[in-house]
Amino acid sequence: MVGEIFNFQDQHWHLLAERAIFWEEEKALIVSDLHLGKATHFRKSGIAVPSGIGEEDLFRLQQLIIKFLPRRIIIVGDMFHSAENNEVQYFKIWRQQFANIDFDLVEGNHDIMAESVYEQLAINVHDTLTIRDIHFIHEPCEEANGYKYTFSGHLHPAFVMQGAGKQRLRVPCFYFGEHCGILPAFGHFTGHANINPSEDDIVFVIAGKSIIRAQ
Amino acid sequence: MQQRSGGWKVINKWLEDKELKPFKFQEDAWKAYLQGKSGIVNAPTGFGKTFSLFLGAVISWIDNHPKDYKSKTKNGLQLLWVTPLRALAKDLGRAMEAALQELDIPWQVGIRSGDTAVATRAAQKRQMPEVLIITPESLHLLLAQKEYPAVFKKLHTVVVDEWHELIGSKRGVLVELALSRLKGLKAGELKVWGISATIGNLDEALEVLLGPYHGNGIIIRSNLKKNIALKSVIPEEIENYPWAGHLGIRMLPQALPVIEESQTTLIFTNTRSQSEIWYQALLKYDPMLAGALALHHGSIDQELRIWVEEALHNGILKAVVCTASLDLGVDFRPVDSVIQVGSPKGVARFLQRAGRSGHQPGAVSKIFFLPTHALELVEAAALKAAMEEDLIESRMPVMLAFDVLLQYLMTLAVSEGFNSDEIFEEVKKTFCYQDLTEEEWIWLLAFLTTGGDALGGYDEFKKVERTGDFYICRNRTMAMRHRLHIGTIVSDAMLKVKFLSGGYVGVIEEGFISRLQAGDTFTLAGRNLEFVMIKDMTVLVRKSNAKKTIVPSYQGGRIPLSSNLGRMLRQKFNEALSGRTKDPELIALQPLFNLQETLSHIPKDNELLVEKITTKDGYHLFVYPFEGRLVHEVMAALLAYRISQIQPITFSIAMNDYGFELLSDQPIPLTIENAKALFTTDNLLTELQTSVNATEMARRKFRDIAVIAGLIFQGYPGKHKANRHLQSSASLLFNVFKDYDPDNLLLRQAFNEAFFYQMEEARLRETLERIAVSHIVITTPEKLTPFCFPIKVDSLRDTMTSEKLEDRIKKLIAVNG
Repeated sequence: MVGEIFNFQDQHWHLLAERAIFWEEEKALIVSDLHLGKATHFRKSGIAVPSGIGEEDLFRLQQLIIKFLPRRIIIVGDMFHSAENNEVQYFKIWRQQFANIDFDLVEGNHDIMAESVYEQLAINVHDTLTIRDIHFIHEPCEEANGYKYTFSGHLHPAFVMQGAGKQRLRVPCFYFGEHCGILPAFGHFTGHANINPSEDDIVFVIAGKSIIRAQ
Repeated sequence: MQQRSGGWKVINKWLEDKELKPFKFQEDAWKAYLQGKSGIVNAPTGFGKTFSLFLGAVISWIDNHPKDYKSKTKNGLQLLWVTPLRALAKDLGRAMEAALQELDIPWQVGIRSGDTAVATRAAQKRQMPEVLIITPESLHLLLAQKEYPAVFKKLHTVVVDEWHELIGSKRGVLVELALSRLKGLKAGELKVWGISATIGNLDEALEVLLGPYHGNGIIIRSNLKKNIALKSVIPEEIENYPWAGHLGIRMLPQALPVIEESQTTLIFTNTRSQSEIWYQALLKYDPMLAGALALHHGSIDQELRIWVEEALHNGILKAVVCTASLDLGVDFRPVDSVIQVGSPKGVARFLQRAGRSGHQPGAVSKIFFLPTHALELVEAAALKAAMEEDLIESRMPVMLAFDVLLQYLMTLAVSEGFNSDEIFEEVKKTFCYQDLTEEEWIWLLAFLTTGGDALGGYDEFKKVERTGDFYICRNRTMAMRHRLHIGTIVSDAMLKVKFLSGGYVGVIEEGFISRLQAGDTFTLAGRNLEFVMIKDMTVLVRKSNAKKTIVPSYQGGRIPLSSNLGRMLRQKFNEALSGRTKDPELIALQPLFNLQETLSHIPKDNELLVEKITTKDGYHLFVYPFEGRLVHEVMAALLAYRISQIQPITFSIAMNDYGFELLSDQPIPLTIENAKALFTTDNLLTELQTSVNATEMARRKFRDIAVIAGLIFQGYPGKHKANRHLQSSASLLFNVFKDYDPDNLLLRQAFNEAFFYQMEEARLRETLERIAVSHIVITTPEKLTPFCFPIKVDSLRDTMTSEKLEDRIKKLIAVNG
């Protein structure tokens, strides 16, 4: 796991190719758009997508937890894909291994389960979350909102690169705009949306197992 | 002279009264039909193919009911007439009804297609007409209804019209499967007939229709030949750099005299967008045409299309700009000329379109070929020669389409349920699934019942329930959803287009609309429209007076050159080079050939031309095998892969029907020394599989497969909002299957389709073998040549690389930074 330590807003952000950020000062692992339960949601409706995707996503998260030993996990929305299903129960069992770690979920448009379910899963649900004047909210903001900086998800950003010989390449990325940064989607059963960064924005792309600054 | 039955005499009398005489092939068909045979009738359009079988069934009915055939009603469904096109159904029904009325037989003729009104359907359910004209999709919808076996109780004959249109597609597989079920219901008592135009593999077409080892099939061929007069419209000025971009509009003034001198003209274009542009341009150029010119393509409101078809019948239209939507055998008598804009890319399609004019027996079909760029004139010359030699393409039947089979099994599961053993036996008897293994069958059943290899006990997959050997779907929501998704024609998600003030315009691809901003104007159904917003899956627009609009480009509009035409094309280039040609098309092109020869070279029959050109875009390599877009796509990937084994390099790839281009940011190490080795057939299959494009091609194929197999939920048409949480793209599904379920049969099917259908591996091998004995000519022109220009300006590109992802990204950054 080769990360890129990005010094930004006086903090150290470890950008990880597993599509997560480790926030050194806070000992927090930040992820977004896991969409847990999506495969099961499809399967319940008779659409036979492979059944092991959510488990693998959680296994990757588990590996990151073991490596970085975070105090808390911040999920910037869309942790679960839809209504409660058995994949949520699987998460409950999985969650028990890390009883001492806080799970802070900033609610996304897909997080529609009843409050009691999140309570059972020991997940703290927030509309937004602010730590050290760093603001977390699911949908990206375009303008200054009074905080030092904002992190979002929602878009599943990908960056398109073009070059000589009419080459074209599309890869998931971390995007840092003037006011707002956007995390890549952590879940594997999620699509991408192209972003159009302006010249001053910072973009790190995920190139296989490494992180490369694209602009 | 054989003994003629009572029914036969009735028909002969009827024809004599009309001063008509049956053609020999019609009598042959009646005879074979009355003997209880199945088979195929092969005859050109305009000679009464329909009556060769329809009257056979009528004769048989009169024979069996000599006393009361004029009074017996409510006889139940006797004859099922499957037609690929909804537009054909009405026409056919009219012809049959007229005959029945004159013969005083009180049979009902019904139509069942996506356009059939709900009330009509309900009435049909209460009392089936004796003759039902139906599309393959609607036939499957019948099979998806409870108690469907009762519908077919009296059925004794199925006729599949335009079988040549269906055989090469998955719609043909729908027909095969439906026939297998009907045969199962009738315990072998069913007569099955096909009607087909001439194709290269008519014998195989019979096998596919009746199933292998049928032993009872006969092909009835007519010796009638359609007279076709092909005339190329030669541009007054030949441009030296032919470019496909202007879509032939420049040639429009030369098309007008044809329209003026004809009663009614059909103007065929190859894509919907091209038809929109032509419609607008014709009106602009000749305002007198307003009211007498119409537009007909698949995205236009159905009512409008029906109106156009009616108007064509009545002869009140001077011309109709259309696409493949009017390809099939609709009989518009007033049509006496056809203009083909751009190359039809195949002999069979060209003959079919030509046949749309001069429908009366013996009449000459006039077709004018109007090139969209100069090089297409060579295709016209090649078409003429191919028609003279009867070089008509084969239609390869689809094999082992797991997606269609899954859909079919679900169809049976939502109606009556099915017994696995019984259906397996039936399915195995079809041509498509003759090689289906028991293992694959079990996998398919598991896919429907447990969703494949379910992991762990917390799985909640729900679709089909299994009790012993019996499979059924009891979930009403799923059943309803399935019925809405029956069929194999997959298009990009289509949205309805309506005026703000109400009024339906047509449908448009979601991908196109998503690129528009409010206020942008576009053209649909010949109207200029301003995009307002999307609401409830409907595009709301208002009329626009804007001069400039965007014309939507539709996917899948590009048809590749057939191999027959490719071969003829190479011959014609040879002829052109010899300077002894008599073809007016080739003579007109002499200046262009001269420029090509001066700058580079014109390849002879035993040569392969390779051009290496450097421009500000990078290093170009152009290769001209003249084998059609599909073969070139694969060949380009293969060559790119092989070159990339010499050194790390990245290519972008473009192709057209004549050749392909590899473009790189570094010099391309292809030399006269290593050229032969780069085009070898050694290790062909392994290297094809390793080439990156196999995955990408399979990914593209997977889209249709996923929709047909019911993996993509497209929402309910019009009525409801799509269920957002169940939406996913085919590309994403492809990724998760590849990563988590690599043995999935649908994934395997995607790769198979990519290899055998799209890549046309056999044809590629032949091409490489031809190159192996050819002389490779490498030229290094100073500037772009007439041959390479159309390829270079083509914007659709693929990528092939042997560089590491990281290195590529770093390079891209360095260039842009």
